[in-house]
Formats: sequence, C-alpha cells, structure tokens
Amino acid sequence: MNKKIKASAALVAASALAFGALASTPASAATILKIAYQGPLTGPEAQTGTDSIRGVKLALKLYNAKKPAVKVEVFEGDDQGDEAQGGTVGAGIAADPAVIGVLTAYSGATIAALPSYKAAGIVIVSPSATRASLTDPTSPSYGGPVFHRIISNDDLQGPALARVATNGVKDPTVFVVNDQSSYSTGLTDVVKKALGTAFESEDAAAKGTNDFSATIAKIKKTKSNVVIYTGYYADGAKFLKQLRDKGYKGIYAAGDGVLNSQFPKLAGKKQSEGARLTAPTVPLEVADPKTAAAFKKEFGADPGVYTTEAFDATRILLQAISAGKTTRAEILAYVKTIKFKNSAGVTLSFKENGDLLGSGLMNQFVVKKGAIKLNGKA
Amino acid sequence: MDFSVLTDQFASLTFDGIALGFIYVLIALGYTMVYGVLRLINFANSEVFMLGSFATILVSTKIFNYTIESDSITGFKLVYTMLAMLLGSMIVSGLVSVLIEIVAYRRLRSRTSNRLTSLISAIGVSIVLAESVRIATSSAPMGAPRLLDKAILATVWGADIRIDTLLVIIFAIMLLITLDLFVNKSRLGKGIRAVSMDYDTSRLMGININKVISTTFLIGGLGTGAAAFFYITVYEMTRFSIGFELGLAAFTAAVLGGIGNIRGAFAGGIALGLIEMYSSAVFGTQWKSITAFVILVLVLLFKPNGIFGESLQQARV
Amino acid sequence: MLNFNLRDWGAGLWEKANKWQRNVFALAVIAGVFALPLLEKTFFNTPSTPFVMILFYPIGIYVVMALGLNVVVGKSGMLDLGYVAFYAVGAYTAGILGTRTSLNIWEILPIGIAFAMLSGAILGASVLRLRGDYLAIVTLGFGEIIRITALNSSAIGGANGITNIPNPPTTFGLKFDLDNQVHFYWAILIMIIILIVAIRILSVRRPGRAWESIRQDEDVAELMGVNTYKYKMWAFVFGAAVGGAAGVLFASKAMFISPNMFTYNTSILVLAFVVFGGMGNIWGVILGATLLAYLPERIRFISDARLLIFGLVLIIMMNLRPDGLLPRKKREKIGTKKAVKL
Repeated sequence: MNKKIKASAALVAASALAFGALASTPASAATILKIAYQGPLTGPEAQTGTDSIRGVKLALKLYNAKKPAVKVEVFEGDDQGDEAQGGTVGAGIAADPAVIGVLTAYSGATIAALPSYKAAGIVIVSPSATRASLTDPTSPSYGGPVFHRIISNDDLQGPALARVATNGVKDPTVFVVNDQSSYSTGLTDVVKKALGTAFESEDAAAKGTNDFSATIAKIKKTKSNVVIYTGYYADGAKFLKQLRDKGYKGIYAAGDGVLNSQFPKLAGKKQSEGARLTAPTVPLEVADPKTAAAFKKEFGADPGVYTTEAFDATRILLQAISAGKTTRAEILAYVKTIKFKNSAGVTLSFKENGDLLGSGLMNQFVVKKGAIKLNGKA
Repeated sequence: MDFSVLTDQFASLTFDGIALGFIYVLIALGYTMVYGVLRLINFANSEVFMLGSFATILVSTKIFNYTIESDSITGFKLVYTMLAMLLGSMIVSGLVSVLIEIVAYRRLRSRTSNRLTSLISAIGVSIVLAESVRIATSSAPMGAPRLLDKAILATVWGADIRIDTLLVIIFAIMLLITLDLFVNKSRLGKGIRAVSMDYDTSRLMGININKVISTTFLIGGLGTGAAAFFYITVYEMTRFSIGFELGLAAFTAAVLGGIGNIRGAFAGGIALGLIEMYSSAVFGTQWKSITAFVILVLVLLFKPNGIFGESLQQARV
Repeated sequence: MLNFNLRDWGAGLWEKANKWQRNVFALAVIAGVFALPLLEKTFFNTPSTPFVMILFYPIGIYVVMALGLNVVVGKSGMLDLGYVAFYAVGAYTAGILGTRTSLNIWEILPIGIAFAMLSGAILGASVLRLRGDYLAIVTLGFGEIIRITALNSSAIGGANGITNIPNPPTTFGLKFDLDNQVHFYWAILIMIIILIVAIRILSVRRPGRAWESIRQDEDVAELMGVNTYKYKMWAFVFGAAVGGAAGVLFASKAMFISPNMFTYNTSILVLAFVVFGGMGNIWGVILGATLLAYLPERIRFISDARLLIFGLVLIIMMNLRPDGLLPRKKREKIGTKKAVKL
C-alpha cells in the first residue's frame, strides 16, 4: 500500500513539474508593450477574428521593423465572439500590465468585458463593434470613457440598411428577422425606426435555428416584398437558402454581421444572387492597395472583413506610443484628442462619447455570382 | 400570439411539419429501439445523427468531388449519387452506433451497476463525439452541394409540394414499413422483441443477447443515418451541434408516441413535427425548441406511456 | 490497479488521530486554503487570467455547485442534467434586484436562494415521481427552458443580458471590487465551509440516511417506510439553494450576465466534477472540482478541448472506476445527536 502511495505521489509531482515546464509563460521584458485583440479567433466566427487580427499583426510588423525604442507585441484574446467568454478574456487582458490598449471585435463580448477595461483604464479602439448603446451615455452599456470605435455605429447602419433594402422597390413591405443576439436586436430596433410605415412584421429565430419554415410562412402571409436579416452569416445563409427555395422572389438584405466570404457559398450561388448588404467597412484593396499587397505577401491570403479597420485601430495606438506615451492613462488621454490619418487618407478624430467625429462611412455590397462586391456608399 | 399566420398558411405549415416530422421519426427509432431492449436512453444517438450528416456531405464532396458551388444533376447520375450518399450515411451511423454500444455500454451491462452509471457514460460519449467534431470543424457549418434541384412539383391548397420533401416522405415510409416487417417477421426481430419483453428469460432461453443488442443498435443507427441523409437533402447544411438541437426533439417524439415501439416513434415524430411548426407560427420561432421540452414534461407527467406505449412499468415510481 | 482506496486510507489516518491533532490539522488546512492566492508567484500561476480570479471562478464557484449537485446525484442518486437552471435563477435574481432596487448583494443572497429553492420545489414536484432516465431528460429540458425563456424575455434583458450588477458592499472593512479579488475568494471559501458543515450534519442524520437508502434501492426504501418523495424533494431543494447561492455570488463579481452563460454544457461540467471526484463524497467532489476547474486554466492548450476531456473523463470513470477518485464510504456513519462530529 505504501509503495503505491509513494509511486502515485511521485507520478503526480513529476507530471505537475512537466506541465509547469511546458506551459509556464516567459517573463515579459520591461520595454515591450502589448496591444490586445479580443475577438473570435476560434469558433464559428473565427474568420472575422482571423481577418482582423492579421490587420493588427501587419501594423505591428511594419511598426517594429522601424526599430523603435519601444517594441510592441500582440496579445491574442480569444472570446469566440461569445459574451460569457468575453468577460473572462477581458479580465485577463486588463490584468496584464504590459497591455496598453485593446481592440474588441463583437458588441456583446465588448459589453461583457467593459467592467474590466473601465476599472483598469485601458483604452479600447474597436474595429467592428457597432452596437449604438456602447457610445450612448444614457445606456447601461455605455463604454465611456475608455471605449472608442473607428467605424460608424448601428445608428447609422440602421437607416442605411433600410434605404439599401428598399431601394428601387415600389410600396415596400418589410419583414425583419433577428437572431436574438445583442448586436442583432440593437440593429433591428434602429432599422425598424428608420423604416417607418414600410415596416410590416418581424420574427426572432435564435442563433442555431435550422428550420425557418415558420418564419417563411409568416413572410408569405404578410406578402412582404423585402426581407431584412440582422444576424450573422451562418444563419443568414441558411435562412436565405430556405427563403429562395420556397419561392420567395423579393429582396433580401442584411447588415455587416452577414458580411463574410462564406455567406454566398453557404446560401447557394443562385439563392444569394442579388442579396444586398451594408457594412461600415471598406475593403483594404480599395482603401490602400499598397498595404493590401503587403498583407497578401505576409499572410498568403487576401485581406478580409474589417482588416482595414483593425489595421487602422492598431496604428492609432502605435501613434500614441510613438508620441512617447507609455502608460494606460497617457495613451487613453492621447487617443481622446488624436488626429489620425487612416488608410484611405481621411483624417479622423473622436467625439467625447467614443464615436468618430464627422460623417460616418457606410458602404453597401451586393452578391453577384457567388461573391460579395462593393457597390458604393450606402 | 398570432393565429392569422397559422390559418393563412395552414397547408404549407402542415406539409413542412410532416416532412420535419419524418426526420424526427427516423431519429426517434434509434432511441426507441434501444430503450425497448435495454431500458436505456441512448444519449449518444444524437451524435450518431450528426456524424451521419457529415458523412452524407463528405460522400458527395470527397468521393464524387462535387462542391458547394456545383450545379444540380439529373437522371441516372443523380440517382446513384444520392444512393451512395444514403448508403454512406447509413453505414457510418450504423457502425458508430454499434461501436458506441461496445465502448460505452457493454461493460456496464454485466455489472450490477445502477442505470445512473450507464446514463452518465452515454452522456460522456455524446460529449466526446460532438466536441471532437467541433474542434475538427472549428465550429464552422458545413454546406452540402445541391444535387437535387428543388423544383416545386405542385401546389396543393396553397402548400408548395417540393420534390425533395416529397422524396423524404416517400422513402421514410418505405423504410418504416421495411423495419416494421423485419422486427415482426424475422428471427432476429423476434429476438429483439423477446429481449424487450423479458431480458433474463430471453437469456435463459438461449438467445444470443450480445447479437440481439448489437443488432438493435445497428438498426437504430441505420435509421438515424437515413434520417441524416434526408435532413441534408432538405436543409443542405450541418454542424457539430446539430445532434443536440435535433436529438432532444426526437427523443421527445419517441416518448410522445410511446417509447419502445416503432409505431409509437412514427406517431410521435409526425405529431411533434406538426406541433413545433404550428407553435412557431403562433408564438414565434424563438419558442420552437421550448415546445419540445414542454411537451416532454407534460407527457411524462400525465401520460408517460405516450400515445401507443404499453405500460413500461419502469416509467413511474 | 485502480482499486487503491484513497478515501479509506485518509479515513484511516483520521480515525487514528486524537482530537488535538484533528483540530490542528483542520485549522492548518483552512489557513492554508485561505492563503492559496499566495501561490500566484509559483508555477501554479495561470497564464492568461490572474490566479486569484481563477480561485473564485471557475474553481470556487464550481466547487460550490459540485457540492450542491453531489447531494442530488451522489447522495440521492437522481441524475439532474439541468442543474444550471438554479445557478441561472440565482444570477438573474441578483441581476434584476441588484440593478433595479437598492438592496445590496448580501441582502439579495437569501432572496436568490429562496427563488432557487422555489424553482427546485416546482421542478421537483413535477418530476420526482419519474424514474432515473426520464428524470434526467426532463431536468435537462427544464434547464433549457430557463435559458430560452431568459433569452426571449426582453423584460429581463433578453439577449443583451443584464449589465452593471453591483459588487457586494464593503463588509467588515473588506472592499469587494476589481482591485480586491481576493475578498471574493474568501467570501466563497466561507460559503464552502458552511456548505461542508451543513452537508455533513444532514448526512449523518435522517435525511442523509434516507438519501442513501433511496440511492441504493428506491423501491425497498419505500417499502421500509421511508417517505422517498419528501426526501427526494429535500435533496432537490437543497441542491437548488446551493446553485442559487453560487449564481448570486457569480453575478455580483462578473457584473454582467447573459443567457449564453447558462447552457447545458455547464450542467455537464458540474456533473463531470461530481462523477470524477467521487459521487457522494464531499472531499472527493471538492478535489475533483478543483482539479478539473483548475487544469484547463493552467494548461492553455487543453482549454479549448476542455469539454472533450470532460466527456472522456465521464466515460473512463464510469467504466473503470465508477466510484470516482475518493469513493463514498461503504456504509455511512450512523450518527446520534450526541456523537455528531465534523
């Protein structure tokens, strides 16, 4: 009996040491700062996260190549686009003293992580969180003073989506479908308001719904000629496919959650033809072809959704560091009053509540022959 | 609560409900047959379905090299491709089902252990399978190539009869009749029914228990695999979580119809498909998954034998 | 190979020690556990989140939940697959009352527990007449019903959840905020200690004996005159109370809750802790929960495969060592009122 105890104790101790050796983190050097990216690096939304974090890494690579006094690394915070994980990941990011700024991807996960960032005074420059309440001082999910975003919010996307969806339609009757996520319900509210009398009816289909027959039955009954989907691409594609297969001939429009190269494939080439999308993002190839080429060389892949914005958000933080700011408080103060030239050559600065000052950018896209194409401003 | 959609689109909802119901029926078979023989809820049957759905897609993309952008095909080519997909799905599901029995349940049968242990083991299997696929696919959905063009054949009372849903219904009925005949007429089928009725006496009478049980799992798996094929034909998409999403509903269908017999699975599946469709129309799609759970609770409380069930004396204390 | 009984070995040592040694040992253990955050400087530290936060969540919270579920599954033999529902009820009570009334968390705690107990009673009344497998499925359904209802009810936040849930107020001079994570940890330690005491007392008295007899053979227990329905209800409600308490504490620390945080996976996780640790054995469950909650945080590469590993744990444990790490005693101690010791 004794031998067995000793043997198992030894085994446990040995494996513990082995684990420790394998997984211990190296101590971070004093003159290395970190910029964190909190977003979906794995999981169903991983494509968005990957596209964005590559933008971050490219910006860091170009910056570090100039051999600056302070090197900057990336801190990868994977929240899978999920709120529950967003809270824990955010706490971890805030607790790392080397992190001086963070890019957050999804609105819901941002809200979950806000308490940690606010308490730690870390500046957020988000490339893709569009929920309007984040910059609304009267809302419980107000992100001030730390939250900033480098894109237009859903208060702008809602009306744009309503316009784009009903463009060219005489007597539009619009049916809106949301997926019960934080982002989707926020966008839906703004869209409905913008539609006014054109709004006919709505339905909610939780994320992961496989069968949309009941929703489609409602659409048929109300004889809606425009359908707007405010969720994410996987369900949006499923929904569109079933919609078309059941003989729906009207317009299908969706917001930036659906903007994903997989969308036309999953929905079907025939079914996705003519689908209209809005998004407050501009493809990197259009904004800055030179950087897009560098991106392709570095990663062997095309820039994707929100790459441009992630790239620019990182450069905002790097500009602060280059100006000699090294603490969180200094960088937060600097970003609040920054004048920054983005990839497209436009000079940006932020309002007190974290939104961009000046007119916001909103683009519209259309699916043609199985690919999403930019179709001008929305 | 909006009844107008229900009345306006009644025929359409009914047809869709029946089609969905048949898929539930076939998955429910996996649950009901195993329960009949082993008095065990085969938790992992939902993942058998999930794996079958991936197998269906992989047959068409890896063996026949179609992609999600391929055009649809017709004629003989269509027939043999779809048959291959159906067989692929059924074989994979059947094998997985038998393997699950050997890995997770067989050891626990011989012990005098309580049912809790087997149930937990079953849950473990379910988790392992679902998570493995989740990691392998990075939680991304997998789309299926559209081989069968979804032409609308006719419109009856306002309901569009599409060729794929019609095929599902026809094939499902044929499969059920075959299964019913097998269980009632064949020798092995008699063995299954004997073990269902009395495990210990069957053993004493010389019935090869292992063979019977493995066959039961195999048949359940084959049926579930067929369900997966039909599901892919209609919905053309799957992902790792689909087992959980549909499995519980299918189990509810089995209980609703009377767990332990095939006709029960049939009745319960169709009934559940219709109820889900109607309640989604009236209350909103966001309440769809709750419908199955609420029905389950109600049935178990008030009529645990289900519609067709014999008194499975173990159901209530 | 695996039939070395750690529990019996430990119990053997305990029996041989005298009262002095036992008390010193207990105090040393308690002091040590309170001082665990000091381990942050060693290789026990978790790379991505501060160690002291990990001690609270997931470790502390899951130990509490595992203890609660242990009473239901381990001691009474009822497989509850929807345990997360009670956790959710507690968390949402804290969320709603915390943001809409001026009550502080310590005042909300008993209310949250009461609501959780109420849900436990409702669920229990519905399902306790069912047998094992059916009970399992129905409780699973119940857990999902709670989650989906929360998701669909915009009155309690819907998909957006509830934000700005307040931290507990300063108590005994200890502040509870983001700078003082260790106080949250101590609070949950106190809760665990209270739980251990409560469960031990219940176990040696009639409820514990009733649970054991129900677990072993419900029909026989009924025939022998045990009011199985009443005691099953006790177990259920007790488990629910514990889950609710954990939920309240969690909400007040995370300050944000949403329906996605209360999924079926959490119920399975807690079940894995109980099964792995040793169904029915308090120390086993604590050990199992601590290990299984801690390891994915320490070893990041398994973090994504965490649920997969837990599934494997369930299969392996059930097949090879169904009694868990620290199996329950072969026979529960029969205690008289005089002889109740801890």
